[in-house]
Amino acid sequence: MVSTKPQSGAGTEHGSAWGEAPYPVLVADAQGAVVLRNAAAGALLPAAGPGTRFHDVVPAWLSAADQAVRTSGAKAAQEADAPLSGVIGDRSFEAHPSAREDGTVAWWLVDDTDHLLAREALRLERTRTAFLTEASSTLLASLNLGRCMDVTASLAAEHLCDAALVIAPTHGRRLPVVTCLRDGTPSLSHESVDPDDVPGLGEALRGFPPVPSRWIDPSAAPDWMVPGEFGEVGSIVITPLPGHGVPAGALVLLRRADSAAFTDSEEVFARLFAARAGAAMSAARLYAEQTSITDVLMRELLPPSLHQISGVDYAGGYRPSADHERIGGDFYDVHPAAVDGEASLVTLGDVCGKGLEAAVLTGKIRNTLHALLPLADDHQRMITLLNTALLNSHHTRFATLVLASAVRAGNEVQLRLTSAGHPTPLVVRANGTVEEAETRGTLVGAMPQAPAHTTTLTLAPGESCVLYTDGITEAEGGPMGGVQFGEARLKRILAECAGMPSESIVERVQMLAAQWIGTGRHDDMAVVVISAPRTHHLSAVDGHTRGRFTA
Amino acid sequence: MTTMPPAHLRLTTVDSEDTVRIELHGDLDYDTADDLLAEVTAVLGARPHLDDLHLHCAGLGTVDSMGLSILLMVRRRTGQAGVRLHLDDRPAVLDRLLTITGSLNYLTGSSPGGGNSASLDVGEAPGAGDEARAARPTGPDGTS
Repeated sequence: MVSTKPQSGAGTEHGSAWGEAPYPVLVADAQGAVVLRNAAAGALLPAAGPGTRFHDVVPAWLSAADQAVRTSGAKAAQEADAPLSGVIGDRSFEAHPSAREDGTVAWWLVDDTDHLLAREALRLERTRTAFLTEASSTLLASLNLGRCMDVTASLAAEHLCDAALVIAPTHGRRLPVVTCLRDGTPSLSHESVDPDDVPGLGEALRGFPPVPSRWIDPSAAPDWMVPGEFGEVGSIVITPLPGHGVPAGALVLLRRADSAAFTDSEEVFARLFAARAGAAMSAARLYAEQTSITDVLMRELLPPSLHQISGVDYAGGYRPSADHERIGGDFYDVHPAAVDGEASLVTLGDVCGKGLEAAVLTGKIRNTLHALLPLADDHQRMITLLNTALLNSHHTRFATLVLASAVRAGNEVQLRLTSAGHPTPLVVRANGTVEEAETRGTLVGAMPQAPAHTTTLTLAPGESCVLYTDGITEAEGGPMGGVQFGEARLKRILAECAGMPSESIVERVQMLAAQWIGTGRHDDMAVVVISAPRTHHLSAVDGHTRGRFTA
Repeated sequence: MTTMPPAHLRLTTVDSEDTVRIELHGDLDYDTADDLLAEVTAVLGARPHLDDLHLHCAGLGTVDSMGLSILLMVRRRTGQAGVRLHLDDRPAVLDRLLTITGSLNYLTGSSPGGGNSASLDVGEAPGAGDEARAARPTGPDGTS
């Protein structure tokens, strides 16, 4: 009581300065009574009027802090870096005490609510950014759709909700669904359900028109959407997974009844995640589609394996320019005659360009030639019709090819050969000489006309005709590198092949060309060899022949 | 003129009264051939009254099938524009390629109109033109 007067005097003395201070200030005396408060403190703690007991009118944390300051001093009560803080009303405050020698303690309260909110928002953003970065790198590491769905489901279940479902769009009746519980393993199932039965799911899977995330009533969720051991569902949100112009599916997030419902910001964040997951899933889907297209095309475009037909030996070998592609711009086919005793047609060619584009053009050419088979006795007519079929105003992609009609006559093979702008076929005679077939013509598919000159020749038993593409002769390599394999070298090799069976010639040419190239780059290389088999006795002839050769 | 042609195609366009000369240096191949077509297209677009287009080929390195394809396209474009195409100073390898593929006359024939210059110097080409027309009821989309 004695000290009241000086203190109140001090309060009056400083009242005007404190009264205007923007921060709440409370002063309590040694007996624990409030002796002074400024206007800001009055607004914050209306009950704490002068004369009231400090401990009765302030929150417990501040009261405890006041006690601590009085027993052990302001310095000790306050940790070096962490100021005292607590909640008053709905806001958060830091409390800074200053103890005076007369036993009064002045409490300076600093509102740090916004600061805390900003810190919390920053922490959340950092966590989310780290998560999105992790999600992106995990998702983009895989071009496998199943793996992308698994990763999406388990990331979502770990960071966004208690359980996540990833549903892929489908053209079939069964919906592929990957389900993952938090800390669980993703599992794939196929649900025979109509997505339109679930509100928002059908739209999300169609991807158009774009729909926002959608809340659905947990009780309206079908049984397949809720994992068996999940328990009661508190909230469900369905988010579309946007893809590269195509819908990639839908993400369903479930939270248990005892978890907090999704906030707006969580929903926005889920969409950010969905965008990444959708991009990865649609990339994987496009990749899978392309792979399957390539597989289908490859099966159609692979060169056939050749064998003896109607007493004529055929062998072929093909090496595409890139070893990982099994198809390319070279092609060959052998079409057996429709009627036994007539000529079989061999085609070998090379289209300009390489890779899949070239392969598609070879497919077109092979089909066209197949359709023109009834005209096979007139090579010029076939070439003219093929030229017409390939002419195109958009480009001048052309092909060069050789047509060879081969028929067994006695123990010899009669050949009609026509080159349409293709490297001249080589004939390996029994005595080791190598001749160029006298045929020449124009490439097909780029010029208005495609005249060609057909030649006929006869292969005696053991003799062969070699059709090849320029990938062989233009193969660069050699001991010093940079030298073309060349026609002369090919002829020398073939001269050594005199009398060899067709398969052996193909293998030898391929092997030597491959050795020549070494590890260097090369174009597509194709070889087809047509041989008159070395047969002198009827009994030695393959059963396919008609046996007329003895005549 | 370099003895070792650079790998990339370098085009130098020299413009005079009624002729344009494009000098080709380097390889005309899968990776570079489109540049030539773009250049020729630009020249033909900019010079509607051009009479002659000379492609100066002495500096050409490798010409692959795509390169030949582009030369054929150039020939088609110049034919449509009524411009005479000249392939000057052809290296032996280019001549050989054009001869094997039967495109030498077509590419180097003097008639700007086109079609008939495709005749081949290897003898008979019986009725090729007639058949082409007969087999193409919808009309040749290549030159129409």
